[in-house]
Amino acid sequence: MNLSVNGVPHNIESAPLTSLLDVLREELQITSAKAGCEQGGCGACTVLIDGEPQRSCLTPVVAVEGAEITTVEGLGTPNDLAPVQQAFTHHYAAQCGFCTSGMMLAAHAYVEHGGTEDREAIQDALGGHVCRCTGYVKIIDAVAAVARGDSFDATLTAAGTRMTNLGGVA
Amino acid sequence: MAVHKGRGFAAIEYPTGMNQNGDPSQAWIKVKPDGRIDVFAGTSDIGNGSKTIQSQIVAETIGVPYEWITYDNSNTDSSPVCTGTFASRATFVAGKAAEKAALAVRARILEIAGKELEIDPADLEIVDGEVLAKGAPQKKISVSDVAAAATWTYGELITGTGAQLKPYASIVEPETGKVDLSPHSAISYASCAAEVEVDDETGIITVLRLWQCYDVGKSINPTLVEGQIEGGAMQGLGLGILENCYPYYPSVEHRGGEFGSYLTPGMEDMPQIDTIIIENPSADGPYGAKGIGEMANNAQPPAIASAVFDAVGVWVTELPITPERVLRALEANAEPRRIGKLVIFDEELSINTVGNGPVKLEVLV
Repeated sequence: MNLSVNGVPHNIESAPLTSLLDVLREELQITSAKAGCEQGGCGACTVLIDGEPQRSCLTPVVAVEGAEITTVEGLGTPNDLAPVQQAFTHHYAAQCGFCTSGMMLAAHAYVEHGGTEDREAIQDALGGHVCRCTGYVKIIDAVAAVARGDSFDATLTAAGTRMTNLGGVA
Repeated sequence: MAVHKGRGFAAIEYPTGMNQNGDPSQAWIKVKPDGRIDVFAGTSDIGNGSKTIQSQIVAETIGVPYEWITYDNSNTDSSPVCTGTFASRATFVAGKAAEKAALAVRARILEIAGKELEIDPADLEIVDGEVLAKGAPQKKISVSDVAAAATWTYGELITGTGAQLKPYASIVEPETGKVDLSPHSAISYASCAAEVEVDDETGIITVLRLWQCYDVGKSINPTLVEGQIEGGAMQGLGLGILENCYPYYPSVEHRGGEFGSYLTPGMEDMPQIDTIIIENPSADGPYGAKGIGEMANNAQPPAIASAVFDAVGVWVTELPITPERVLRALEANAEPRRIGKLVIFDEELSINTVGNGPVKLEVLV
């Protein structure tokens, strides 16, 4: 069967009921979608299927034949980050990074669908994604920034702009 | 039946760094011919930002821009020993090793610059990548030119190493176990205030707000420190009201067998989180820093417990403070209803989650 991932057509050889997650990670070596709980509970495997965030761990690949799949690699490139990727970097919205791909794709879809900077609306939209490191505060800050249309200097991160001047050697 | 609001407070102290009896960290630094700096260290960055923090420490200590630093912790063959990222030690212990290595590099840069400028190294300083004569900054040479001179003129590689190890304690009084050094190098202090709502019908606790006040010694990067404290706040919230591997320990029958049966706080459990960073410097950490990693989730559970007491007047003395435990505490606290000689404990509060439905207790006295 045929599958388009980030605009690139692929001929898939995995069995039809293989999960989309396994096809992405094992057959296509696209590992940004993470195998977290593999029960649909954590959100780390989220990809966009025709622009809608879906759990790839619960999706048999045969069910998405002909669909356009987007992973974070399809949002932007290191030299040309998508707004949501810039905002996550700028606001230090990732620590270990395991939830980040799913979070960014859900955030991207939220903003694409007209989502606002309202905190409760963001919590509602991203509520199915578990993050253990950040306490969600900076993730919500980042999504709100994208929804507002904030622009960032991609050469600077928030962590970089707030470095304490230690004063050097006494 | 009503929803009650309450506020509670807890304060903790926390020994940062596994700094008793060993646990070394090492770093080594080399200066490339263009003056750019390679730092090799074994500290794994698990998202806590130790690469950023240690790069900042090296840049500030040598006196070069942060962007000149490449931090390589990529493998255990090329990197020196660091026992790891645990016990809030990545900044406090490993950061100190990086600072010591940077001091050695700085000293060698000044010596070579002294030869090039024909000035005593003691009269030189390094500011933003340039070696300047103190009081006469027009006499200067860039760190890049010093590194080039080291490579092409003097035939040497500018390097520096540093290591941090708390000496092993020896017991000086076998009878008492008294040792000859203080047990910890740095004690951090923290407090948390919690505001909660408790529904006395369902026992459900909603955490509305957490104020976090944490002493980190020196906040080398406030954004990263906030990230640790905010993440700790949600972990502490989970430990306070949600998370339990063995809800009926020592019985293992109700142990979770899958991801979904372990209750981790989600985005919708988020209270408003206010973070305040306190700087109470340590004597042993780099630039006075202490650790922040592990202590960040310690103060919330007791703060929530005392807020629950403030709200509904019962102390729940086991964690997590589940709805069941709240209701059992309320029930134990409730005055029984009396009809003549019949005493009826509040049947609406009587629950039996592991049996066959609600229990109605009627006792004839």
